[in-house]
Amino acid sequence: MLLTSVIIVLREVLEAALIISVLLALSRIAGIRLNWVRWAIGLGVLGSVIYASNTAIVSDWFDGVGQEVINALLQISVYVCLVIFAVYFAATHKADDANKQRLQALMTVVVSLAIVREGSEIFLYLSGFVGDMTQFTPILTGGLVGAGIGISAGALVYYLLLNLKRDIIPYLSTVLLASVAAGMAGQAALLLIQADWLPSQQALWDSSQWLPEDSVSGQLLYALIGYEASPTPVQAAAYFGGFLLLLGLVALSRYRRKSHADG
Amino acid sequence: MRSIRTFLVVVLLATMTLVVFIAALRGYRASMSQVEALLDGQLVEMARLLDSLHPDDFAMTEAYDGRAFAFQVWVSGKLLKKSLNTPDELIAPLTPGYRDGNFSGYRWRILAQPGHTHEQWILVAQRADLRISLAEEVILEAVLPIIVSLPLAGVLIWLIVGRGLQPLRRLAQQLGSKRSDDLSPLPIAGAPAELRQVIDSTNSLFNRLALAFDREKRFAADAAHELRTPISVLKIQMYNLSRDLQRGNPNLDKLNDGIERVNHLVEQILALYRSTPEHFMANFSRLDLHALARDTISRYYDEFRSRDQQIELAGHRSFLVGDRFALETLLHNLLSNASKYTPSGGQIRVAVQSDDSGVVLCVEDSGPGIAEEEYERVFERFYRIGGDRHVSGVRGCGLGLAIVQHITELHEARIELGRSSFTSGLAVNICFPLRIDAGVGA
Repeated sequence: MLLTSVIIVLREVLEAALIISVLLALSRIAGIRLNWVRWAIGLGVLGSVIYASNTAIVSDWFDGVGQEVINALLQISVYVCLVIFAVYFAATHKADDANKQRLQALMTVVVSLAIVREGSEIFLYLSGFVGDMTQFTPILTGGLVGAGIGISAGALVYYLLLNLKRDIIPYLSTVLLASVAAGMAGQAALLLIQADWLPSQQALWDSSQWLPEDSVSGQLLYALIGYEASPTPVQAAAYFGGFLLLLGLVALSRYRRKSHADG
Repeated sequence: MRSIRTFLVVVLLATMTLVVFIAALRGYRASMSQVEALLDGQLVEMARLLDSLHPDDFAMTEAYDGRAFAFQVWVSGKLLKKSLNTPDELIAPLTPGYRDGNFSGYRWRILAQPGHTHEQWILVAQRADLRISLAEEVILEAVLPIIVSLPLAGVLIWLIVGRGLQPLRRLAQQLGSKRSDDLSPLPIAGAPAELRQVIDSTNSLFNRLALAFDREKRFAADAAHELRTPISVLKIQMYNLSRDLQRGNPNLDKLNDGIERVNHLVEQILALYRSTPEHFMANFSRLDLHALARDTISRYYDEFRSRDQQIELAGHRSFLVGDRFALETLLHNLLSNASKYTPSGGQIRVAVQSDDSGVVLCVEDSGPGIAEEEYERVFERFYRIGGDRHVSGVRGCGLGLAIVQHITELHEARIELGRSSFTSGLAVNICFPLRIDAGVGA
């Protein structure tokens, strides 16, 4: 039980921690105050508890696949918000107060939605063991280990980004955000396949022999680049399409800002 | 600003957590394999024990109804003996080895092993959930203390890093609490090796700065002082010359003008260096700024009258703690500037007010005023707007407001420039903070 608990908590915490770390590092370099993160985490935790408490109702929606569909919608919302944020951040060279407020609001929405999605999974998993005292210690220990690894990795990514050369940070952060966002798009596709909203297909490849998804390294890669051991063509298309779309839009936004400044 | 302490604590704790937790997980996995092997070994022993029994012995044994273990003994395809918690059918195929299977509502780890006779098969099983929880209980006993001790490690790291950074904090405090004129070296005794170079370099910088200040002060003061004597001689010669030559000679007037200008410049340079916070020997006492302004105006009243300027003093008695000589110089410079840049027939207003926050001196004129972008620069030494080609045509040396700023700093006051309440002109506001021993409007 301990290992299962570690994997489930780590998977969810790591993804949220990575998004928060990258956005915090970008806030630092843009001179944006970091108080938004408290609001985002608070709203996210509250939202995840409300969402997880109403899973039974949500599951009945859309002919019994409500949970998959709503989870996919949450993932897509996080992806869309991350794209808007990355494009807006690239378009504003020197953020004035109004721009900073808009960026703060976008980051709050992104982190809150991500925590609602990730937090509700943890809450659902843990609530399944309420009252089972025999499993209490291994579940709690596993949860703490998973959360500890996830938060620690997030903290190290934050300081790693801040200790890079200042002009590299936006580029590396954008690539990191693009991989996390693409992972979200890939997961959304998987959930929609599970709900039969997208066609189920043969896996493109199967790398579970070399790197199982349920290993710690598999989970690290899952959070970082949306690693899937046996993705279907639809998932792969959602992942790579999502990745390239975000990077393309950011590059276009930078180009337009630069040509505007030169002109 | 980022804190070194927070950075070190977070990064150290995060690294430690990652390393310790991943190591604990590896340890957990390795221990689980060991315990699994041990429990599998138990199944083998049980199978051997059952195999060692003669078929007649089974008949004598009582039915076993265990919770964690189960067994079946098959001979030539017939069930010879079984524990009560197994069904009558085979619980696993009769091929040697371990496998997982379900029966009686649980998942089991089953070992199938041929007996000492070819016809006999022993099947022993152990409940999978109990195996895992037993193994987990054993391993958690080892892992849990590591997890529980992390918050303690965090507190210890916080304290140790804080202690390690103490010399740096002390150095920052020493530098922060230094007065602007305190160029004494920082103590190096007891400083850690990492900070010695910083302290050495800072002390060397202080030393060079003190020498440079001293040289500058002595040079300017000596030069100004040495120039006073020849200027006085020049003035006497000028007076004698004016008596010998005809009055109204334009060359004589220009010469006289030049000598007056040099004299003014030398006096201003002396005043500037006397009033720098580094060199000023303050003699602070409680005084009435309103009365001081009144005295200064009356002393220089002829200057205003000669230019047909109206001067007005407003306000009431306002006490502050200050240096009388310095404040007289400040008032004289402000009034002199106002008079110089106000055209003939113009107006000058001096107001001294006091309230709970302090004393405010305001000198405003109806001259052309100063553009806002020049407000900062007029306090620079020798800076004159438009140089000697200023629209007012007034000649000066550009030191008046620099001296005013020095004196303002000496009194920890704040100076602000703005537009005067006349149709045009400059307003200079100086806010002296209230000192407890000064009193207000007494």
